[in-house]
Amino acid sequence: MSLAEALSEGLQVTGIGLIIVFSVLVILMLVMMAMKAIFYKPNKKDKTKEPSEKVETAPISDTAVDVTTVPVPAAADSGIDEGTLLAVITAAVAAVMDTPASRLNIKSYRRIGDNAPAWNKAGVRDIIDSRF
Amino acid sequence: MIEGLLSFLSRTGVAALIENAKLGIAAASSGFDSLISVIGTPLMIVIACLLLYLAIVKQFEPLLLLPIAFGMLLSNLPMFANSSAIMMHPEYFNSADGLQMGEIIKHGGLLDLLYLGVKLGIYPPLIFLGIGVMTDFGPLIANPKSIILGAAAQLGVFTTFLGALVLSALIPGINFGVNEAASIGIIGGADGPTAIYVTKTLAPELLPAIAIAAYSYMALIPVIQPPIMKLFTTKKERQIVMEQLRPVSKTEKLVFPVIVTIVVALIVPDAVTLVGMLMLGNLAKESGVVDRLIDTAQNSLMNIITIFLGITVGATAKAETFLTVETLGIVVLGLIAFCFSTAGGVILGKIMCKLTGGKINPLIGSAGVSAVPMAARVAQSVGQKENPSNFLLMHAMGPNVAGVIGSAVAAGVFLSLFAH
Repeated sequence: MSLAEALSEGLQVTGIGLIIVFSVLVILMLVMMAMKAIFYKPNKKDKTKEPSEKVETAPISDTAVDVTTVPVPAAADSGIDEGTLLAVITAAVAAVMDTPASRLNIKSYRRIGDNAPAWNKAGVRDIIDSRF
Repeated sequence: MIEGLLSFLSRTGVAALIENAKLGIAAASSGFDSLISVIGTPLMIVIACLLLYLAIVKQFEPLLLLPIAFGMLLSNLPMFANSSAIMMHPEYFNSADGLQMGEIIKHGGLLDLLYLGVKLGIYPPLIFLGIGVMTDFGPLIANPKSIILGAAAQLGVFTTFLGALVLSALIPGINFGVNEAASIGIIGGADGPTAIYVTKTLAPELLPAIAIAAYSYMALIPVIQPPIMKLFTTKKERQIVMEQLRPVSKTEKLVFPVIVTIVVALIVPDAVTLVGMLMLGNLAKESGVVDRLIDTAQNSLMNIITIFLGITVGATAKAETFLTVETLGIVVLGLIAFCFSTAGGVILGKIMCKLTGGKINPLIGSAGVSAVPMAARVAQSVGQKENPSNFLLMHAMGPNVAGVIGSAVAAGVFLSLFAH
């Protein structure tokens, strides 16, 4: 095969190949967009929800408990319903404070920024890097 | 007794080594050929040991490289022609008359019989079944645009095809036709089973070189990709934090594999063997009703096939077909393929970043090569170096799994153009 033949054959196949690969994947993209339109019902509550979680605990009876702010992984956006989320937060606060959950009353919650300690982030990064 | 001893000695491997060298020199047409016939067998054993070293000490894809290297060792041990101890006869598979089933059944060794699984295209689709079980298409369904990055990363496949043809036109001693060029190009898909599937059909004599190049470069992705990713992106682009992905419902995850199979079949039927098995595995996983099957597919079956595939692919590497200038050409072109695929993904990522007003981090484009999940981890790692609180991993998994579909489609294109 001469250089000219090689170039023309190569360019032709490259063109055809890329067009086919792109068109198949673009069709799949459209299919996925259609799927979103048909099957995905965003939870209305999610939109009205405040973008952050701040947990305030209030004593029901005699115990006086300070307002606690807990960073919660961004579960609120992932469609977990609010009831479940509240239950999880209550359980976590109860465990940390060593108080029965029945004595806690979550008044409001608000997500705070990503304030994981530096060592925490470094640990996560180490784990990811070690999996190569 | 002495006679018995002498007759035994004349049948040893050492005697075979000397005998084969003599026969080789007598039959050689050039100085290079006679050199290969003398040092070929010992050199192949040394190469096999080197690959074993890379697999065990350096841990380069050891799950595959170890059986490949040992297969290479087994098929290059010195044996007399027609010895019944020979485990692999590549000539039964690559002869001009096609597959010699009769010979394989009558005289075939263990590796000949196992190699039928490669030659008949059984192992790569079964590996895809296991990959399907292990793949989560959720991040892709949540962000459909990222599938385009999986297509862009096939750029290397086709440019390398072009490169291989140009190289063989320019350099005497390298003689790649379109079939060989297609098999080399597919290395750029960064997908071992796909590369093997295409090569066993289009250019079976290049199988060992292509498989070894593909798997070695996949192991080297954390070294190959970051410089290219940095070359094509600015520091600011690498720091982009992407919006969190929406949750994906179970219905979507169930419908997706079925639709992909149908769409791919309608356009590129040759890709269905691979894509279909991938999607079967995925549907089995997402359905949640066949736990026993998915456990087998992703563990026992996958491991069995990996052993068979590795050892037989390695065994096809014989001195006369492996120690050639073309193998060197494949090693170089394979690297070029990887670089172009990475660049293709990153450049399209950059374009999408501009079009969306900076919502897409171009680094995730590099994950469009289908080495799952290695390429996504590289995107995560490079992104996090610029912005320690950035998590690109799930965003990069979208293009990453799209790359698996993309390279299977690219393989289908080559097969439909050249296999008939």
